[in-house]
Amino acid sequence: MELLVTMMVNLLVDMGPAIGAGIAALTGLGAGVGMGIATGKAVEATARQPEAVGKIRTMLLLGLAFAETTAIYGLLISILLIFM
Amino acid sequence: MFDPSAQLLAFNSEELQEKVFPKNVIQIGSFAVNDSVISGFIVVIVLLIVALILRLTIIRKWKTTPTGGQMFLEWLVSFFDKSADEMTEKYSGLMGPYTLGAAAYICCGVLIELFGLRPAIADVCACLALALCSFLFIHTLGFVKNKQRRLLHYVNPINIITDLAVPVSMTFRLFGSILSGMVIMDLIYIVVESIWYFGLPVVIPAILTPIFTLFHALIQSYVFASLTLTFVSEAIETRPKKPKKKRKQKTASPAAGAAE
Repeated sequence: MELLVTMMVNLLVDMGPAIGAGIAALTGLGAGVGMGIATGKAVEATARQPEAVGKIRTMLLLGLAFAETTAIYGLLISILLIFM
Repeated sequence: MFDPSAQLLAFNSEELQEKVFPKNVIQIGSFAVNDSVISGFIVVIVLLIVALILRLTIIRKWKTTPTGGQMFLEWLVSFFDKSADEMTEKYSGLMGPYTLGAAAYICCGVLIELFGLRPAIADVCACLALALCSFLFIHTLGFVKNKQRRLLHYVNPINIITDLAVPVSMTFRLFGSILSGMVIMDLIYIVVESIWYFGLPVVIPAILTPIFTLFHALIQSYVFASLTLTFVSEAIETRPKKPKKKRKQKTASPAAGAAE
């Protein structure tokens, strides 16, 4: 039993940063859903009103930048966890 | 016994680790210059020389029937001026050139990676400097436009945190996306080295570089410029004064009724 616990602790100490980096990569989920919704709505808006495509594109890019931010934070954290 | 996966992992942890964080080239006491700063200075010098050359060649021969170079310059300047005009009405003379300058610096600072140097933006301090410039513009223009009325904005203490979060989020957005593009490209270069098929080490980076370097550079410079403009337009919008508005409504409604 003690051997098993020691093994688990050793594994966690060795692999802890890697596990943390994997968990941090889950931020991509939220960003993906958000960006998908934004793009879908932009396509709907363009279909409804094709002459407003310039304004819609500007707003879409801004929204995508905001949605992408969370994914970038996750990426940054996993890079720091792996390499520091 | 040759094990390709073990070799790849060994590459990742050692060669890549050297490339992720900037190296100090000159260090005198606490004064340190890393390779990102040097490529930043190269970018600034190149931009100044290009601006001087354009000033002496194209702008001196300005015509009513434009050539290709003149068309491009007009499009570039009027693109930023127009979006500044839409967002920040009377400060567009200040914000248009600033956003064009910041976007040019970010774009060229990332594209310098194509010459084998470290990108100038892949350093937190460079991103922080750019974000602090934007922060300064946002709040200076906000106070110039609204004077002491802008202080009412801070009656709600959550707004202070919101305002302080703007430069931090701008910094990490820029830094994270540029660093991720750089890390992915470095990983590809390392992986490609171990492929010895004829031509593939040349073809694969040539296909992937436009996606991870060019795309990131253009998108991030555009996003930085338009985010700055958005925050400035948010800061300079005038808030309606509540007591005066009620009086106006009271005086306006009988007049409107009489007119009807």
